[in-house]
Amino acid sequence: MWLIFKKEFTELLRDKKTIMFMIVLPVLLFPLIIGVTVFFTSMAVDKAENKVLNFAVVGKQYAPDIYQSMVQETDKFNEVTLPENADYATLINNETVDFVLEIPETFNPDILNSGQHTLTLYLNDAGLNKVRSRVGEVVDKYAKEYQVAAFSTLGMDEAQQNALLDPVIIERENIADDREVWGERLGGMLPYFIFFLCLQGAMAPASDLGAGEKERGTLETLLISPMERYKVVLGKFFTIGAAGVICALITVTSMAVWGLLISQGMAIEFVADIMAMVGIADFVLIFLMLVPVVAIFASVLLSLSIYARSFKEAQSYMGALMMVVIFPVLIAMMPGVELKGGWIWVPLTNVALAMKELLKGTMDYFALFGIFASTLAIAVAMLTFCVYWFNKEKVLFR
Amino acid sequence: MIEINGLAKKFPVESPKKLSEQERKDPRLRGRHFHSVKDVSFHCEEGQVLGLLGPNGAGKTTTLRILSTALKPDKGEVSINGHNVLSDPTIARRKIGFLSSSTGLYGRLTGRENITYVGKLHGLGDSEVASRIADMADLLDMHSFLDRRAENFSSGMKQKVSIARAVIHQPELVILDEPTTGLDIMATSTVMAFIRRLKEKGTPVIFSTHHLDEVQELCDRVSVINVGETVFDGTLAQFSSLSDGRMHDSFLKTLNQTSDEEVSNVVNL
Repeated sequence: MWLIFKKEFTELLRDKKTIMFMIVLPVLLFPLIIGVTVFFTSMAVDKAENKVLNFAVVGKQYAPDIYQSMVQETDKFNEVTLPENADYATLINNETVDFVLEIPETFNPDILNSGQHTLTLYLNDAGLNKVRSRVGEVVDKYAKEYQVAAFSTLGMDEAQQNALLDPVIIERENIADDREVWGERLGGMLPYFIFFLCLQGAMAPASDLGAGEKERGTLETLLISPMERYKVVLGKFFTIGAAGVICALITVTSMAVWGLLISQGMAIEFVADIMAMVGIADFVLIFLMLVPVVAIFASVLLSLSIYARSFKEAQSYMGALMMVVIFPVLIAMMPGVELKGGWIWVPLTNVALAMKELLKGTMDYFALFGIFASTLAIAVAMLTFCVYWFNKEKVLFR
Repeated sequence: MIEINGLAKKFPVESPKKLSEQERKDPRLRGRHFHSVKDVSFHCEEGQVLGLLGPNGAGKTTTLRILSTALKPDKGEVSINGHNVLSDPTIARRKIGFLSSSTGLYGRLTGRENITYVGKLHGLGDSEVASRIADMADLLDMHSFLDRRAENFSSGMKQKVSIARAVIHQPELVILDEPTTGLDIMATSTVMAFIRRLKEKGTPVIFSTHHLDEVQELCDRVSVINVGETVFDGTLAQFSSLSDGRMHDSFLKTLNQTSDEEVSNVVNL
């Protein structure tokens, strides 16, 4: 069995396509995706923050302070004179102005007498822009001044002012620790990601080890060797499983390392906090939970591959399998789905939920044992089927 | 001694509607099954070479696959030196070396690694495999490419490595399915010389071929299969005497055809 594993793995490592999918892509693709996304996002945000906004204020005579503030900040705003009866929408869409601020003639800084005022900001808010926040900065400064002046006129002290502004405050005392909070947020995504990567990593070698053998004409050599069929299957099964786990580990490690490098200090602290909270034992348990899951994937993939007449046929079966596998993991991400009642017995969903609980630190370890045992039982059943399948002439010589 | 008696093997037809007109007319198609081999029997003594002849689709490859234990027959018996192949195929596999007509190599392994892998599957040790590969590299003239990856091998190189792989465990019976098909003259003569050497060493060889000159040169016995049945089984001399030494005519005679009928068939195609 190990002879077959060794040979299959040697071949796997010499296959440029597999190396590409298993190592190069996870190591380079994620940093590339993260890098490109961060680069373009930060460029766009930077541009939106520093762009000199072309503006027009209609009714500037009613709020000269606000208007003057904008005019004076020439590095941020540039006034554009509007024609009579201008259509704001057209002017904004053809980029003559970035925004138009309309001040009503009733505007008065004495808000005690004039009441609340509504300024209308015309802008195209479809894309990334900072118009609302940048105009808000200017207007809010004066709004605050009007507020303070009003309170002062009323002769109210600071406590009264606060009570008036926020009569009742709800102070939140979260009894969940940070780990539970982060576990709830990340725990749904983690199994989805890991399951997907394990399956993706195992697919290429699985196609090669079953359908590939048929296509090359090497299967017969294996079938007439004195090696028992179940050992042949186990050798191939372990190769596929190892490829899946390695692919997932490389991808997750790559994401963590490049994530640290790209986002620097902030992420280091965040990741370090998570690592400190979760602990090695729980990571080991998460990995152990993954073992029977990968075994299920490897058995099913090998069964499909050995059934297929060609590499191409195998790939089409596996594409469909991807949907079937991802569905129970997606269920685990849905709100309200917890590791209770019937969900404990739903294959794959239960493992995904258990991983989430482990991250949160709220796992019932007795239930974990049950989930591990039931998943392992399914894996053994699948593997048994795979051995049976590998003995069928109808499958081998289709 | 290798004895094959009354072999029969049928295969399910997945979708009979997809069969061609010619396939539907084949008398071996019965309902949803194709009776590839109906009644095949022959034998081969120690040190003999048996040539298995027959038109395309006659059932030669199925017969050889059954002999090699890759397929299980529905009926019949196969024994090698008294050992029942069908009752204990694992032991039989140690006694048989098989080269299939559609055999392939692991492209990402070198020629040496391909042979070593099969040697180890047969339980041979490192040094034993290495010394046997060295011997076969001499015999089959493989030194120049043995340590190169098989993905870029020519047909001749592939066939030489495949033959070496089939006999690395020094089997008691060697089965070769069309071993010279697609090979150039040099590679063919190397393969022929190798079969001759096996014969000299006393290893029985069963090989299927369409080349009657190879049969005349190497074989002691001839067996002809047609439409899944053995239609001739005898010595080379008996086969040759069917048409006064004209091998081609003898072959046609076993199929109940004359040269004129053969020409007519070709014209009708």
